Amino acid sequence: MSATSGAAGHAGETSGVGSGEPVREAAGRRAGEVVAELEITRAWLVDPAAGREGPGEIVVSNGVLEAVTWLEGAEAKGVGPDGVVVAPGFIDLHAHLREPGNEDAETIASGLSAAAHGGFTTVCLMPNSVPALDEPSVLARVRAAAIASGSPVEALAHGAVTVGRAGEQLAALGELADAGIVGFSDDGACVANPTILRNAFLYAGMLGRPIIDHPELAELTRGSEANEGYIASVLGLKGWPAAAEIAAVERDIAVLAEVLRDEPGARLHLTHLSTAGALAAVRRAKAAGLPVTCDVTPHHVGFTDEWLAGARRWAWEALDANGAARDPWLDGALTAGPYDTSLRVNPPLRGPEEAAACLAALADGTADALATDHAPHTLVDKEVEFGLAANGISGLETALGVLLAAVDAGRLTLSRAIAALTTGPAAVLAGWPGVVASGDIRALAQPRGLVEGAPADLVVFDRSDRWRVTPESLASKGKNTPLLGRELSGRVLLTVAAGRIAYEEGAAGA
Amino acid sequence: MTLEIGASGSPASPVPEAAIPVSAQAPAWRHRHLLDVDVLDWSEIELVMTTTDAMREVLARPIAKVPALRGRNVTILFYEASTRTRVSFEVAAKNLSADVVNIAAATSSVTKGESLVDTIRTVEALGAQMLVMRHAVSGAPYLAAAHFGGSVLNGGDGWHAHPTQALLDLYTMREHLPGGSVAGRKVVILGDILHSRVARSNIWSLTAAGADLWLCGPSTLLRGFDRWAAASPRIPGHGRFQVTSDLGAALAGADVVMALRIQRERMAGGLLPSLREYAARFGLTRERLAAARPDVVVMHPGPMNEGVEIAPDVATDPRSVITNQVTNGVAVRMALLYLLAGVHGEGR
Ligand SMILES: [Zn+2]
Repeated sequence: MSATSGAAGHAGETSGVGSGEPVREAAGRRAGEVVAELEITRAWLVDPAAGREGPGEIVVSNGVLEAVTWLEGAEAKGVGPDGVVVAPGFIDLHAHLREPGNEDAETIASGLSAAAHGGFTTVCLMPNSVPALDEPSVLARVRAAAIASGSPVEALAHGAVTVGRAGEQLAALGELADAGIVGFSDDGACVANPTILRNAFLYAGMLGRPIIDHPELAELTRGSEANEGYIASVLGLKGWPAAAEIAAVERDIAVLAEVLRDEPGARLHLTHLSTAGALAAVRRAKAAGLPVTCDVTPHHVGFTDEWLAGARRWAWEALDANGAARDPWLDGALTAGPYDTSLRVNPPLRGPEEAAACLAALADGTADALATDHAPHTLVDKEVEFGLAANGISGLETALGVLLAAVDAGRLTLSRAIAALTTGPAAVLAGWPGVVASGDIRALAQPRGLVEGAPADLVVFDRSDRWRVTPESLASKGKNTPLLGRELSGRVLLTVAAGRIAYEEGAAGA
Repeated sequence: MTLEIGASGSPASPVPEAAIPVSAQAPAWRHRHLLDVDVLDWSEIELVMTTTDAMREVLARPIAKVPALRGRNVTILFYEASTRTRVSFEVAAKNLSADVVNIAAATSSVTKGESLVDTIRTVEALGAQMLVMRHAVSGAPYLAAAHFGGSVLNGGDGWHAHPTQALLDLYTMREHLPGGSVAGRKVVILGDILHSRVARSNIWSLTAAGADLWLCGPSTLLRGFDRWAAASPRIPGHGRFQVTSDLGAALAGADVVMALRIQRERMAGGLLPSLREYAARFGLTRERLAAARPDVVVMHPGPMNEGVEIAPDVATDPRSVITNQVTNGVAVRMALLYLLAGVHGEGR
């Protein structure tokens, strides 16, 4: 199978057919440029909006997806899902780009480059910048930085629920909604006070915007370092109980259910769920018809707490045939040193059973989306004692690779993996009435399909091409990922956002 | 047969008053750092024990000093105040003729001072070749070892590990148990297991030694250990350990009982109602000790709260070996400094 991606001069060249080595030299295009002519032939197309995948070809002309051709019969022969894949551009509902306030860790420009390298064409920025995005002037700074970056990746923003994310007084919710924020979140912290939460649901519901909660009962996790369980006990790390997340989720759902009687526009999105108990609560809430959505992260799907002891096998490899966790001290799984601070994250990496529940939730749709919780940090904030290290994993560029590892292992279908990055998060956004009414969000104008006649918004990656995660290979300033040194499949060859080049493999400055 | 080993760590000319009587059959020590007991296989633990025997002989001499570490800089970096452990390391290093530098540091999270990595680089630039480190955060010595050119010896990290204490405990048990072995012996560790690096390191060494290990305390101070106990045996062929809040069951027929210190701050966290209640339900008293074997060995890693976790008359009972633990602590630390000093760069 082969793909040719090139400007006019390259269009139609299919000399690579059957060679197994797709053509991917840079065509002299630069990030931000409109895609004049692009033809990708004999690739595997995944269109989750149409519920279709298979061999096909696409043509982009002057930034518009001119043609999507599905190949059949003899033409389709030799084109499979294991090579070059074309999918709609990915949406990330949860990323920390650190600007303003922490530009040493990431800037909006570097973060959008990382997004494009990861195949994302839309990212939602979390409001825990310094200052917090709790009033419109901060949003204006964020927007200006996004425009100045020249990146075609759409940078959406969530606003804070409370002033300074301090949990005491409602932020300028109405002004923020008018200015175009997407949802409200005090992420990094739970909305701890249930009365504030209740009022936030009512007021944000009036604005047609969701509360995106980071569910964590802080009283249960003060000083916590690692998932409570066997690994934390052995490593002498303070346990982080699953109940802190489950109880917060149950509380949020109970408060929402009551608020809905008064304010039918109220919405709840639970982010970075990491426990089977919390996902079960969401499943029940959805079955009861409540407007609750949720996401899980790549790291809670792919990594587990045994990585803190030095294991590096995927979460699904840490379960035995009976679905019970293996013992990394006994089966030779400890291949790295313990206490790697790149693994310190909130919520913490859980045991393999919980990771399996996150993966199952993606597979059955309980988790509406995969969200990266991209959380870049400087070396200064990570090269410290484990218990003093900043929480977070740099994740925009490895999300696809982690999901593809699950696909390669037969734990997830390719179409579900792509849906979790595209139609899944698009449907979450489309469930927020004020966001839809505002009409200015690109991700909604084109519900993440390969739509002829629409501006091209897509990612091209090669499942047969592995790439090594190194500090140099990451566009993010945050090199804080436990995947450093590891090979992932699915090298991204090209990301096109709104008809413009967002990332092209091998291109100058990419 | 003994081999005379001098300051260079290699066979030297016999200088009787300066020699350490180490067996020539001893296997090579391959660890550059000692951060926990979990990396030691049984033959290596035995090597520590026989090297400690040799150090005990040195300590019995009129001048308890050998030149094994002459010219070596041993820096003792303590981020937590602990006079007894610090002094034990200091005496051990000086008995080996090392140049000892003492640094009392503050944890950076509290003071926003220099980072641990910066401190390690500074200490190394100042000449440190061996680093003995105590830190309140679990895992901190692993970070230090990753940035230090010499050897790191963990003097206790957070709740995680205290390898020299576990090895001196094992040495002391073998010294006092009939037959000189803990295999099959019922060993009880009693008290605040949850916050105890002593208990954690002892789990590795005592299960490796084949002891019938019991961890006992109020359920709030045992949380999480049931899952560790339920995991497969640490070392294939050796037993699991038990976790219980039933003090009577734990003490019944015990060969060794080690009480752990209860700290006042456990009350603030809601882990215990009061020290009085702890003493009444879990304090090691003469009456309770009657359930153990008549020749039970009583231990405590110190410092003791007499009248709380251990009754004063139990601490001074003839069956108590608490002061022997202190003496053996110096010998074990001499042995480990000596063994680590023989590994340069290439060890693990
Ligand atoms: Zn969060």
